[in-house]
Amino acid sequence: MMREITYLEAVREAMSIEMRKNDDVYILGEDIGVYGGAFGVTRGMIEEFGPERIRNTPISEAGIAGAAVGSALTGMRPILELQFSDFITIALDQMVNQAAKIRYMYGGKGKVPMVLRTPSGSGTGAAAQHSQSLEAWVAHIPGLKVVQPSTAYDAKGLLKAAMDDENPVIFYEHKLLYKTSSAVPEEEYSIPLGKADIKREGTDVTIVATAIMVHKSLEAAKELEKEGISVEVIDPRTIVPLDEETIVNSVKKTGKVIVVHEAVKRGGIGGEIASMIAESEAFDYLDAPIKRLGGASSPIPYNPELEKAHVPQVSDIIKAVKETLNRA
Amino acid sequence: MAKEVFMPKLSSTMEVGTLLQWFKEEGDPVEVGEPIFEIMTDKINIEVEAYEEGVLLKKYFEEDDEVPVNTVIAYIGEEGEVVPAESPGISGEDSDPAAETDSAIGNSTVKVAGETEEAKSEAVLENGKVRATPAARRVARENDIALNPVAGSGPKGRIHEQDVIQAISDNAVLVTPLAEKIAKENDVDLGHVIGTGARGKIEKADVLAFIEAQKAPSSKPATGERVKLKGLRKAIADKMLESVRSIPHVTLTSDVDMTKAIELRKALLPIVESQTGYRLSYTEIIIKTVAHVLGNHPKVNAALIGNEIVYNNDVNIGLAVAVDNGLIVPSVKKANKKGLAELTEASKTLGRKARDNKLTPDEMQGSTFTISNLGMYAIDGFTPIINPPETAILGVGRIAEKPVVVNGQIEVRPMMVLSLSFDHRVIDGAPAAEFLTELKESLEDPYSLLV
Repeated sequence: MMREITYLEAVREAMSIEMRKNDDVYILGEDIGVYGGAFGVTRGMIEEFGPERIRNTPISEAGIAGAAVGSALTGMRPILELQFSDFITIALDQMVNQAAKIRYMYGGKGKVPMVLRTPSGSGTGAAAQHSQSLEAWVAHIPGLKVVQPSTAYDAKGLLKAAMDDENPVIFYEHKLLYKTSSAVPEEEYSIPLGKADIKREGTDVTIVATAIMVHKSLEAAKELEKEGISVEVIDPRTIVPLDEETIVNSVKKTGKVIVVHEAVKRGGIGGEIASMIAESEAFDYLDAPIKRLGGASSPIPYNPELEKAHVPQVSDIIKAVKETLNRA
Repeated sequence: MAKEVFMPKLSSTMEVGTLLQWFKEEGDPVEVGEPIFEIMTDKINIEVEAYEEGVLLKKYFEEDDEVPVNTVIAYIGEEGEVVPAESPGISGEDSDPAAETDSAIGNSTVKVAGETEEAKSEAVLENGKVRATPAARRVARENDIALNPVAGSGPKGRIHEQDVIQAISDNAVLVTPLAEKIAKENDVDLGHVIGTGARGKIEKADVLAFIEAQKAPSSKPATGERVKLKGLRKAIADKMLESVRSIPHVTLTSDVDMTKAIELRKALLPIVESQTGYRLSYTEIIIKTVAHVLGNHPKVNAALIGNEIVYNNDVNIGLAVAVDNGLIVPSVKKANKKGLAELTEASKTLGRKARDNKLTPDEMQGSTFTISNLGMYAIDGFTPIINPPETAILGVGRIAEKPVVVNGQIEVRPMMVLSLSFDHRVIDGAPAAEFLTELKESLEDPYSLLV
């Protein structure tokens, strides 16, 4: 039987394996050394790899990102960690106007192979400035790839692919998933970016869910099975590039689709996925309006009950499925 | 709390009723037992009475609307009570109308549930477009069928893929291979051809007739008013077609000398009238005789149901009564156990109730043999259509004086033609003929009924 490790350990393991064989890979971020980072992902790594490769930085996301872009251009393969994905706002000029553009503007003569790792999502009581899911912002920028793993297994394989990629990759780790476990091989493996995973097969309705919503959707699917409703759950795993084929084929099969993410529904990636489906050959198979579930259009509340109410819950997904199937 | 008034389900087959007229307006006080509105089913018109006392708060449907059974049509309650703006649909789904109105704001689920029923027919939008999902449209396109007649099961009557699939399987055209080949060769759309075979199967002749008709110059006669086939007319149309298509009919006729029957009627007329107030007619004498003779011929008093011939213990005589827009067959129960006075009263009462649309469902069910009397017209014999699932029907003609040969002499006698149609699946010619012969002999010698 394969051992189980946590999502957090899987992220650390992917980096450690890579760093042992590739001296160009190093990590930079705030308090990632002895302290081990805001969530402890790099804990113990400074002991193995030393302060040259596990580099503590000043509290300046712009500086961290700028240093990463610069060193990537000179041939290094940096992994930078932001304590909370909310702070990506400060790093965005470097990511959007430099990292995403340089390879294109220099005709491929320079490249920026870097990974920006950062925890996202609500549910920790960290209030409005430390709980957001801003992946749609970066997904909008050509030149950036965007990854959202939902399991420990996916996290390890996708991070390997992100580190190997010659382009900047934004790698979102969900705070509430850090402690979840799954079977993860000890050896190295890579999951290609742009390949969705069908987390559960079904015939009546397709749910496309990202990050922690994959688990909520699976829970909802389990409940709905008791009522004879067969739900297919698709985890795109990377929203850029997006595995359109897997989603379209599933919708052609079921004729009904619900897109679920934690990020605010307005302007969220769900709108992009829904539009992609409507434009695709799956259109003629749609047998109900496409439904989106996402966060409310408000800052994330501090009150734990309101925080829960802000994002889609299992009961919301069940309700949406029944409405879509005219079984409400 | 306001109480629902809903479309009653008056028979096991009733799915919708037509609202004929309102007797009350919104705001009118209503007593228990007072009629609120009148409805028509495929069998009957009936007044729906109030079970509650109060004020008629809300009417959700107009006259002539077709309303599915158990759908809330109105509310009765206290003056000023709040009820939903739209019919909440099937009665009992949400028994608290006030709660529904309150929660309607900001709660889309409740609102949609309420809209579904009343909006069943709204699949066709005001601009003439049809509310259907892309998948439903694709399936309709692939099968070359129109979406307009498809009943939508979704919110606001939206047509889903499954609805179209259902409609296709409901309308699947039955056709013989030869007919299909001819249709293909001549570019005929089988959807327009009317089949005359079993279960409406299209046969070679149907396709050829259709092609002929297409060729003929379009000199269609000018048509006047068009009336939708519905209600009682539709029920009769369906039933007659089903009977003719599924039952192999054979009709036997026999002349009956009514001399003694006329004497009998004359003798009993004052007696029956003094007992019941009604005048004894030949119909009752024929009912009495038929019921008596049926007792000796259980095969004729049977019903073919599925794969079984069911022999009926009771002899219930169905009486075809002409009404304004058609024909109704009330049933005289246990006619073989009734005397002529009782039969006269029963048949007269049923006839009047039929003409006044006042028959109860029970009074229209359970006949085991039907009599259709056209004796008041200048009709001798005819070929009556069996009232399924019965085995036979008796057509009664007029009594007319005719020359007949009696003991080698030509005499003028009051003669009547009886026409017996029977279901050849259930019985054969010989037993049917025996029945009709015994019936003729009994009518010619009605005193045998006393034996």
